[in-house]
Amino acid sequence: MLQLKVLLVDDEQEFVTTLAERLELRGMDVEIATDGEMALGLVETDPPQVVVLDVMMPGLGGMEVLERVKAVDSNIQVILLTGHGGTKDGIKGMQLGAFDYLIKPVDIDELIEKLNEAAKNVL
Amino acid sequence: MDKIKSKEIVFFGKITAGITHEIKNVLAIIQESSGLMEDILAITPDETFPRKDKFHTSLKRIFGQIDRGVNITTRLNKFAHSPDHSPADVDLNEVSEQMVLLASRFARLKNVVVEADPHDAPMIIHTHPVALEMTLFESIEILLNALNSGGKIRLYPRKIQDRYVFGVCYEGPIPSRADVSPAVSSSGRWESLQETMAYLGGTAKAFDSALEILLYFPRSINP
Repeated sequence: MLQLKVLLVDDEQEFVTTLAERLELRGMDVEIATDGEMALGLVETDPPQVVVLDVMMPGLGGMEVLERVKAVDSNIQVILLTGHGGTKDGIKGMQLGAFDYLIKPVDIDELIEKLNEAAKNVL
Repeated sequence: MDKIKSKEIVFFGKITAGITHEIKNVLAIIQESSGLMEDILAITPDETFPRKDKFHTSLKRIFGQIDRGVNITTRLNKFAHSPDHSPADVDLNEVSEQMVLLASRFARLKNVVVEADPHDAPMIIHTHPVALEMTLFESIEILLNALNSGGKIRLYPRKIQDRYVFGVCYEGPIPSRADVSPAVSSSGRWESLQETMAYLGGTAKAFDSALEILLYFPRSINP
């Protein structure tokens, strides 16, 4: 079975590094980005199968990053991390091509389930 | 002056809502860090970790508090957004659950539990959300002032024919009527409640002996 390649994007450095460690412990290949520009750079140079993307970030917001990721490669699956306005942002993101959304803080088992589901959609 | 007051409320709500996002990020980091500890614990052999059970117990406690914190910040965020649109469609069932969290701390000081008992169907009315929440909170405060200690306050929105009624009822050791009456319908807070209800186009009725307040709301503040 191929190792799942994931890109985590969140401006909260400590959140994203700890979550990356947890996913790595579960056998995933994880890259992190702490802003939208950095994430788009990684998508171009080292494309992941799935991007886990925070909606609320300074600079390039999650929705814009989502659109640009999809423009680079529509095959990359994106799972959004939303805050309090979860459902509204999540639905908007799915209309823009996101695979699904989760409300922060995320349950690790739920995230892994979504990552695996999303990976099945990668051609 | 009223315009400035409205702007103050919206400003207050906006800042509070922003801070709840920050708190949620803090909780997310605590959750992932404690989750990572749990992951590492799971792959550490028992014999190399003599007090593993104590760590598991502490982690469980941390996870419980994270859930509690997330619930509080979610409710606070929703409350902070109340002034964003006014009047607006509001589900009285949702408000009853919202008020449980917002009023629980005040009730706990009298060993009283606040519980929501929602109606079995959505109860949508068009009203001013902040003023609506004020009426419910004032009703709870009036009952808390009138009772001694212990018991519970039940919040139960109901639709009776065409009327939207929100019941706030105390269930527990009832003080004597002589103590209750002045504390409920003749208190200064009662006048304040009546005033807010009038602003919302509704009325309030108190049943002193039963320590119960019924709030009658119109379906729409702008019929």
